[in-house]
Amino acid sequence: MQQLLRPGSLPPLLASEINYSHFADHIRNRHCSCFRWAMEGIVRKYQQKFKRVREEMDRWEELQARLLSQYRNASSIIERLQVIQEAKNYGILSSVDGIGDAVVGKQMDSLLMILLSLNKIMEEFHGIVMSLKKIHRDSRQLVKGGSTQLTVKQLQQRLGVKPSLQDCLDGLMLLHDMHNSEYLLKSSIISALPTVVSRPSSTDLGSLQQLLVDQPNIPKEDVEFIFDIIFAEDMC
Amino acid sequence: MAETTDASVSGRESDVATSLSSVSPHTLCSSVGGPLSPAEARLWRPPAQRNLRNQWSKLASCRQQWASSSSGGRSHATSLVNAYLSQRYMPSMDLGVLKDMADIRKKACQKLFRQQELYQSKLTSSYQDMITALVNMITAWRSMRCYLKGGTSSPLIRFSYIAEDKSDNGDGSGTPVFTFLSIPCFENLAEELVEMFKSELFVKRLIVFELSCAGHEASYIKDLNWSNELYSGEFNDLAFCNLYSSKTHELLPPKMKGCRCDMPSEKHCSQLTQETLQVYVTAWLAEVNIDMHRSYVLLQSPTDFKSSTLCRVREIFSIVGEEMHVNFS
Repeated sequence: MQQLLRPGSLPPLLASEINYSHFADHIRNRHCSCFRWAMEGIVRKYQQKFKRVREEMDRWEELQARLLSQYRNASSIIERLQVIQEAKNYGILSSVDGIGDAVVGKQMDSLLMILLSLNKIMEEFHGIVMSLKKIHRDSRQLVKGGSTQLTVKQLQQRLGVKPSLQDCLDGLMLLHDMHNSEYLLKSSIISALPTVVSRPSSTDLGSLQQLLVDQPNIPKEDVEFIFDIIFAEDMC
Repeated sequence: MAETTDASVSGRESDVATSLSSVSPHTLCSSVGGPLSPAEARLWRPPAQRNLRNQWSKLASCRQQWASSSSGGRSHATSLVNAYLSQRYMPSMDLGVLKDMADIRKKACQKLFRQQELYQSKLTSSYQDMITALVNMITAWRSMRCYLKGGTSSPLIRFSYIAEDKSDNGDGSGTPVFTFLSIPCFENLAEELVEMFKSELFVKRLIVFELSCAGHEASYIKDLNWSNELYSGEFNDLAFCNLYSSKTHELLPPKMKGCRCDMPSEKHCSQLTQETLQVYVTAWLAEVNIDMHRSYVLLQSPTDFKSSTLCRVREIFSIVGEEMHVNFS
């Protein structure tokens, strides 16, 4: 039974059955209606926090789209840098003196602007990670900061299909960790871009782009699983 | 309805009548050529300001028109190049199960060629729109002065935007029109703009010309000539922009800053490599002659980059906009 209650490994089946037996314990031990009322309040607060996490994750998706489009712009400029640096490729335009330098200069300008905007996007990603971190930290205050210290048993207590407090805490922590690792990955890719400029290789750019698209640290199913547990009652 | 502001925006009024009992037309005219007296300046300023506002908002809208034609042209050029390259690669393309169909490659090539021609005509019309924008810009640049109308004979002091008297050069003798800048200053800024777009137009013409011969038969290319019109009436427009001499029937390449531009020799252009085509499209996109003076300060201080990304065109419009309290962006 204890094993089943560990969050993450918790199968959704039988959950209600287990809860009721635990609940029965409390009926025996405590003035339970009051306790139940307090628990439900805390869970509702947690669900609010998860809604805020969802909003942050929507913003993350918007940023992700902007990041990808800017990254594609940057890599197409990087890929053609070599071509536009060779005078023999200018055809009829070589009759315009200095056009090669001007075109390369202009493209470098654009690239620089794109890199700057990529950096700004990364800053915004960081902002999201920080706010997820704050949500997680504040949520720990909900159960640990109060005058009543909750026992492990109480943390794992489940009321009906509602999540246990431990589920909530772990979910918030996991979501923060995922986004934090993904932010670190993205930021190492983006900071490597300027070095690719000097020796461009289209396969490098392509595979790095794929990595940005995939977001390996934020597995979609795991994220949905967490939200399914927290908002199980809405799905019934 | 506010008639006065309406008139100043539309600029349809070609002259403005103003009467003032304290200053006779005679005294105003006697000083033409010399600095304006405060009373004269007071009379001259409102119509001059109205005219400048109109001409500069025309310049701003021409700039937008250019930008949209140019970006349309870029996408047509890209599609043209893609259609052309697909035809070239058709013989070596792996068609899978379709390869046994009779004449499939030939039919595909014909279809691609028709597409290419379609994009070419679209590209030419974008180019034509860009010339129109430039022509309008030049017209606005040349209509910035404000002249005294009717001389001393008229009891009214009137102003006109068309020169009537040779002794009056319409610049208010260098009086600041708004706060600091005189009419010649505004004209110089406008000319700087016009020159940028002229040089860029020439580069665009080279690209349009080259892309129009891509993939055509040698006999067709022989008839194509650099000094033929790309559309009918092109040389009239180019002559207006000083890019074509109707006397010698030659194109006049503009002087780029610190650059020389030769007339392209009558080269065959059937040998366009993929790289060259890529360069053409990139050069179209880059608009090298416009906004040439982006400051490189941002390399040193990336945090400060908003203030340092002012490029010349935007800078010109912001100088002018600040002077006349108009926001052009």
